[in-house]
Formats: sequence, structure tokens, C-alpha cells
Amino acid sequence: MTLTRLILHNYRNIPTAEIHPEAGFNILYGDNAQGKTNTLEAIYLLGHYKSFRRGRNEELIGPADRHCRVAGEFYNEKLTENVCLTISSDQKNLQINGKRPQHSNEMFGRFPSVLFAPEEVSITKGSPAGRRSLIDRALCHTKPSFLDQARAYQRCLRQRNALLKEGASPVLLFPWTEELIRAGALVRLARRQYLERMLPLLREAYGEICAGREIANLVYPTSYDTFTDLAEELRRNLEKENAREKKYGMTMAGPHRDDPVFMVNNRVLGLYGSQGQQRSFILAFKTAQIRDLEQETGSVPLLLLDDMTSELDRKRLDFFFRFLLERRGQVFITCTELSPLQNAGFNNMRAFRVQEGILCDY
Amino acid sequence: MVKFTPSFNRLVGELAKLPGIGRKTAARLALFILRQTPEESLALADAIKELKERTRFCSRCFHFTEDDPCPLCTDVGRDDQLICVVEEPQDVIAIERSRSYRGRYHVLHGALSPLDGIGPDDLKIDALLKRLQQNDVKEVLLATNFDVEGEATALYLAKLIRPMGVRVTRLAHGIPTGSDLEYVDEATVNHAVEGRREL
Ligand SMILES: [Zn+2]
Repeated sequence: MTLTRLILHNYRNIPTAEIHPEAGFNILYGDNAQGKTNTLEAIYLLGHYKSFRRGRNEELIGPADRHCRVAGEFYNEKLTENVCLTISSDQKNLQINGKRPQHSNEMFGRFPSVLFAPEEVSITKGSPAGRRSLIDRALCHTKPSFLDQARAYQRCLRQRNALLKEGASPVLLFPWTEELIRAGALVRLARRQYLERMLPLLREAYGEICAGREIANLVYPTSYDTFTDLAEELRRNLEKENAREKKYGMTMAGPHRDDPVFMVNNRVLGLYGSQGQQRSFILAFKTAQIRDLEQETGSVPLLLLDDMTSELDRKRLDFFFRFLLERRGQVFITCTELSPLQNAGFNNMRAFRVQEGILCDY
Repeated sequence: MVKFTPSFNRLVGELAKLPGIGRKTAARLALFILRQTPEESLALADAIKELKERTRFCSRCFHFTEDDPCPLCTDVGRDDQLICVVEEPQDVIAIERSRSYRGRYHVLHGALSPLDGIGPDDLKIDALLKRLQQNDVKEVLLATNFDVEGEATALYLAKLIRPMGVRVTRLAHGIPTGSDLEYVDEATVNHAVEGRREL
């Protein structure tokens, strides 16, 4: 999968731009706050239809018009496809090859891209929500139906919480508890299955980064791996929380509260990990995610690397550059300095200078 | 927006209340009506008036009808011992179109949704239970939607109905027969594969 053309119109600080990226390495370089990450975000939007940054639609729209447009042309196995996303303050209009997709299955996983941003290193130490989201975003590439499952669970959770808040009777609560158990077990099952498959890849990558001296592990806090067992487990979780649920008026157990534990040498990274171990872990996670995605789907995702050099030291950069050089596939990298990348030995590399919202060939 | 006369604006306002009609479309429709002959536009007004005067809910199944009880409730060729429970009148129409069902119906007029303040008392559930008590019904087929609200409503009803000695079944949500697995959307296959259960 290669992005062969990217067109931006009134997108954040970029009034208008058209670039023709290389099939291999593309470097977006320039000073900070000039539009490098905005360009990366635009490419990300073409595969996810949602930004990796929080915020409202308005923030994506530049001052020149009431909407913005991001369009891309993808080339894959002799097939050229067009994606066009028009965003206004209250809606997003997506067209794939001139047609509006009918189902989310037609959209997700079609133009896959994987982002690696420096902020993600702090996920290992941050709140459980960040770690859940890291796993969920990775897994929905290989299992698009997970989005519907996660949405159904969230909906059921809000319904059940509304009843808990008003102190509803057990008779009224019962159907929502049952539905929550079913939807929740499906979410836990999807996460378990994904982690089980990618954990060997994560360990392998971590071993490569630190020359095999340490062992990484990722533990999802459930004891089972079949739907029936997970459903019964969630039922027991909820029964145990019965009194606290009544007290606080909300659902106190389930996949929305699970805390996936990231570990190195059997110690919890969030508590005992050094900065270096945290960086290595996230790097290994991303590497494993990409390798798994390529094995599972057979398609090679675009890699979007936001300011790698700021977060990774020499040793880890070397590992990652070696990984990038060994795989085929298109890569977009933002950086403030060109030289470390020029020295990494990338062939078919193309650089774009980003300055005050203007993109031009180097 | 075009502003003509008070009566024109009134019609635009009414049309814009319809689902899927914005003020722009409403103005276009009102202009069209204005240009029609008096007979043509009065026929529309009359059709609306007649619909409202003649149509009401069937007192047994709560489907829309002009005659009470409705033709579906009085049809002697239908099985009195089987009742299919749906959320909305349009669900009756969808099932009827399939010609695969020969029992009676019961329309709930919605589904449970605590977030929207919709509880059992806001649906035609008491009337359903009365029907089951007063008639010799052997089976209730729950055909509420497959979203979380529809599933929760089905679970709620199943728990109420089963102790009455009535068999409770759920509309199957599986892979359409005769279809290639390859072309069935992934959510459906997933539903079929992962954890479907007997109600
Ligand atoms: Zn009727």
C-alpha cells in the first residue's frame, strides 16, 4: 500500500498543498509548529477518519473556508483508489472512489496506517485508559468489527449507569446486566485474543532492542480465554461489586475499567520501569503491532512516525532504523533535522520541507 | 430562505417538521404546492386529514389500523397460539413482506432505554401480558432489534413471560441461508460465531 498523492485544502495551517510521496521513505522536516505533524495527521485521517489528537472538527478547519478537505490516492497491487474526506464543523463526508461507503467494514482496515508519536511513551506510566486505548487501536486494524463491539458495550454501559444512578430495582437492572456481560465478554475476548497472538512478537522485538538481556510481558487482567468463561467471570466481577455499584451509582467492573499491566523482568513498568525501559516497551509494542498486522492481513501499513529522534536515544534509533530498512512499505517521518536520517542509509528517500503551512520538495 | 406571505411561511414551518426535510426543501415543496391546481393540493390535504381521522392503534396488537381489531388480528388463517413481538409498526410490515410468518403480532412502540427515560411502563408491555393471560398462547417470538436496547428489551420480556408457561423464542440473528460466508458482513459472522445464546 502506497500513498501516491496527498492533497490538502484549508487544513489547519495549510491553505493548500499537493505532494507526490515516494514509495519508500518520506521525510517531513522543518522547525516546530510549521505543519509537519498536521501533515502526518492528515494522512492518518485517510485511514482512520478520526484524528489521533483530541478536539472538535472546527480545529481541523483553516480560516479560508467553512470546511476542509483531505484527499489521497493509494496504489496497491496495480490498483489505484481515491479517498476524499471533507470536514465541516458538524459533519464528515467520506468518499471512496467517488462513492459514499455503506458500512464501516468498507472503511476500516482499507488504508491502514500505524502512528508512533513521542507522547505515547508515557502510556506505560499513565492511566489504564491509555493502555486500553493503545491495545484497542492496534487490534481494530486486524478486526474491524471490534469497533461495533466496543461501541455496543459503551452504549450498554451508559444505559446501565443511568439506571444505577437513579437506584432502579433489580428487575429493571437485570436485562442491562445480562447484555453488559455479553457485550463486555466480547470486548475482553477480542483483547485477549489479540494480545495472545502479538505477545510473542512483542517479546521478540523487545529482546532485539535490548540484546536479549530483559524479558517483556503484557498481562491482561482476566483469567480465561473463551467467551463462556469470560462471561461467567464478568458476572462474578459484577456480583462482587454489587454494594459499591449501589453506593456510587455506576458500573464498577468490566472491560472499561481493566488495567493491562506492562512488565519487564516481572516488574510492573508503570511503577518500577526506567525511562529507557518504557521507551523500549512502546517501541517493541509498535514493532509487534506492525509485524502482526502484516502477517494477519497481508497488507503493508503506512508508518507515520512523529518526531522519533526527540524521544529515542542512539541505541533505540538504530534498532528502529534497522527494522524500517528490513521491511518494505511506505514511511512518513517528521523531524527538525535531516542529518540523522540522511546518515541512516535509507534508499529511495524523499524530503519535503514544511514551513509556515507550505509544503515543498527539498 | 424565501419569505412570501404568512400562510406560505406557516406551511414551510409545518413541512420542515417532517423527518429528513430541512427549511430549504420545505420552501421548495411549499412553492410546488402553491403552483398546483386547487384540486391537486386539496387532495393532498384531504389525504392527510383522512389518514389521521381513520387510522388508530389496534386495541389488541397496537399496529396501525382503520378497523379495530385490525385485519392481522381478525384473519382466521393465522395461528392464535403464536405472537411475534416487535418494536415498531414498520417491523410488522417488514416481516409481512417476507411472507414467512403466519401468527399474530404485538407492537411495543419502542424499546427500553433508561438514557431516554423509556421504561417498561412506556411500552405496550402490560397489554401483552394481559393478552397472554387471557388467550391460549403457546409461543412468543421476540423480534426486537439486535442493538443493545432491543436485546435488553427481549431479555426483560423473556424473564416476565417464561414463568407463565409460554415458550419464548428470539428471532435468529445469523448468516442468511444460501449466502457465501465470504460476502456476509463480518459483524454478522461474528455474532453467529461468538457467544450467541438460547434465551
Ligand atoms: Zn391488531
